[in-house]
This record gives sequence, structure tokens and C-alpha cells, in this order.
Amino acid sequence: MKKAFAIAVKDLRSEARGKEIAPAMVLFALALVFIATFAVPPGSGRAPVPPPVAGAVAVREVAAVLLWLAVLFAAITGFGRSASAEQDGSRMDALALAPVDPMSLFAGKAAANLGFLAVLQVFLVPVWILFFGLPSRALFPEMFAVLVAADVGLAAAGTLFGAASQYARSRHLIMPLLAFPALLPLVLSAARLTSTLALGGSFVSEVRWFVLLIVFDVVFVTLGAVLFQFVIEE
Amino acid sequence: MKKDPFNSLLVIVAAGVTAGIGGIFFWVPTDDFQGIVQRIFYVHVPSAWVAYLAFALVLVGSIAFLRTSNPRWDWLAHSSAEVGVVFTAVTLVTGMLWGRPVWGAYWVWDPRLTLTFVLFLIYLGYLAFRWMATDAGHGARVAAVIGITGFATVPLVHFSVDWWRGQHPGRTVFKPESSPDLPPQMLVTMLFMLAMFTLLFALFLALRVRLARLDAAVSEMEAA
Repeated sequence: MKKAFAIAVKDLRSEARGKEIAPAMVLFALALVFIATFAVPPGSGRAPVPPPVAGAVAVREVAAVLLWLAVLFAAITGFGRSASAEQDGSRMDALALAPVDPMSLFAGKAAANLGFLAVLQVFLVPVWILFFGLPSRALFPEMFAVLVAADVGLAAAGTLFGAASQYARSRHLIMPLLAFPALLPLVLSAARLTSTLALGGSFVSEVRWFVLLIVFDVVFVTLGAVLFQFVIEE
Repeated sequence: MKKDPFNSLLVIVAAGVTAGIGGIFFWVPTDDFQGIVQRIFYVHVPSAWVAYLAFALVLVGSIAFLRTSNPRWDWLAHSSAEVGVVFTAVTLVTGMLWGRPVWGAYWVWDPRLTLTFVLFLIYLGYLAFRWMATDAGHGARVAAVIGITGFATVPLVHFSVDWWRGQHPGRTVFKPESSPDLPPQMLVTMLFMLAMFTLLFALFLALRVRLARLDAAVSEMEAA
């Protein structure tokens, strides 16, 4: 008992001096709770629905937000891992020395991350449709456009933030901290389009969200292509 | 010892803010609808303005630093982010104190509140990165990239939260700054506080940049 206490005191003291874990943990949880608030209350920003239908609407709206939160989490964890694998073996130095311009480096890494997302969604989306009992006929084929548009932005932003977070201690906590607020518009757009499709609504009526997704893609592909060189250079 | 230019600015800001607070408590008429709590706007609005100004300077400093590699720009960006986060916190807290009696809740997910909170998170992330950067030199360049992307996402966040919560009643709440028949005392006090907070920001920023410069000088000496 005494020994366990001593170990605990040692760990806490080390954290109190270094402050590497607790602040990042708090900020991470704060960002997470914040994004989760968008799932509730369902129906925010839509026309009121009569009570018998409201329950089904609520389930589908929450389902849409949850799908994209799951994608966001898996993406950020995976991208962080793929970026730190590069860092751990000093492979980044080798790549920086290779005759590859930073723009191609960024494009290649983003394309690989896009591949990870595609694999993830091949498994995730059918399970999600099944578990929430969603009408797959209403979702497709438009859902493909939503997935592709969201994945491009997610991969571009994830590649940039993943590389950036490698230059910090507690990088696995820093990565979501940088990415969550920046990816909020992407998650909201994708979730809104998904829930519109799941509710049998028309894609055209919510087309501004799709435009926002495309703008997000353009902004982050451009930022990544231009700024990646400053992140990897040493 | 030579005369410090900060001291004169400090005197002006201290006198100005004191006069402004006097104006808020004794000169401005009490708002008919919201009552006494409306007076918090004379601190809330200037803080929000200063926060936006600070984050714009983070962008300017970050871009200039990547282009010129002059550490002064990095000091500007880092310092401005720190001061900006403080003023964002003031904006959020004063807003919550106002919201409790007027909206009946400390927090509602109104688009503007949500945007302000996202800004807070973005620049808190920027500062967390700076704090945890493994290498001060290269960390500054990566931080500049984060500073630029952070600002670039602001319009996207703005549209997304605005559309998502588009029908929130928060938006229709009486807004004193857009009211046409604003008593002159209110307008004058608001403009005066805006000016004073801008000077206060300049003072904080100048002191923080000086601190960054001294910090860099110490690191240089330690390395030598």
C-alpha cells in the first residue's frame, strides 16, 4: 500500500513538473464534449417535425453525427499514427533528403491517408446502416459524393496537422487538439448532408453544405500544398 | 536609467480605463429592457474586438515569419495569440454573466457564441503546441503554419455553425449596438471603451513581445 502510494506520488509529481499530460487531456476532452454538443438536441436548425415522426428523425440525425464523429476519431488516431511512424524511424529525414519536392510529399501522404479512410468506410458505413436501421436506398448514390468530398478534406487537413503535431511532446494529444476545431465545419457539413439523405430529403435543398465541403477541400489541399514544406524542413 | 516608453502608455491606459469604468457605472443610462446587466457590454464588446484583432495579427505575424525568418514576427504572432486568448476568455465570461439573467442560461449554443468558443479552442491549441514544441527554432515555423490554418478555418467555422444553429432564438435577442435610437452616452462610452481596450491590447502586446525578445536573448546566452 505504501509502495503504491509512493509510485502514485512519483507519477503525479513528475506530471506536476513536466505538465505534459493533464493540460492536453483536459483540452482534448473539452474539444470532444464540444463537438458532441452538435449531436443534441436533434433537429436544431430544421423545421419542426410532428411528434409521431420526431423520434425517427432524432435517431437518424444523431446517427449521422455519430457516423462522422466515428470517422473523425478513427481518422485522427490513424493519421497521427502514420505520421509518427515516419518520425520514429527518422524516416522523415530520409524523405526530406530524397529528391522529392514537398508538394509531392504532401500529395502522396494525403493520398495514402485517403486510402486509409476508404478502407475504414468500406467496413464502417454498412455496419452503421445496419445498426441504425437506415434506408440504404435513400442514402445512395448521393452518399458516395458526400464520403469522397469529406474524405479529401479530412485527409488533407489530417496530413498537415499530423505532420505538425510530430514536433511537440504528447503529440498524440496535440494532434486532435489542433484538428478538432479546424475540422468542425467538415464534420457538420458531412453530418447534415448524411442526415438529410437518411431522412429522405433532397440533396439539392441542402446543396450549400456540399459547397462548404468542397470549399473546405480546396482550402486545406491548398494550405497543405503550400505550407507542408515549412513543417517538414529542419 | 532611461525613460521607459511603456510607462506613458501605461498611464494613459490606466487613466482611460478608469474613466471608462466611471462612465459605465455613473454616466450611462440603465437599459430599459435588460436593466443594469446591459452595462457589461462595454467590456464584452471591446474584448471581442480586441480578440479578433489579436488573431488577425497572429496571421500577419505567421505569414511574415515564414517569408522573412525574422524572429520578431514570430514574437508578434506568439504574443498576440496569448493576449488574444486572454481577451477571448474575457469575452466568453462576460457574455456568460450577461446571458444568465437575460437568456436564463449561462450558455446557449448560439452561432456567435459557438464561433467564439471554437476560436478559443483553435488558439488554445496553437498555444499548447508552442508550449510543447520539442525544438524552439523549428517549433516556431510549425506554429506559424498552425497560426495560418487556424485563421483560414474561421470563415468556414462561421458558416457551418451559423447554418447548423440557424434558427436559434439567441440571434433575435435585442442587440444594443444595432439599435437605431441608442442614447448618446451609450454610444460614446462604447466607442471610448473600444479605443481604450485597443490601447490596452497594444500595451499588453508590447510588453509580451519584449518578454519574448528577452527570452530569446537568454536562450542565446545559455547556448553560447
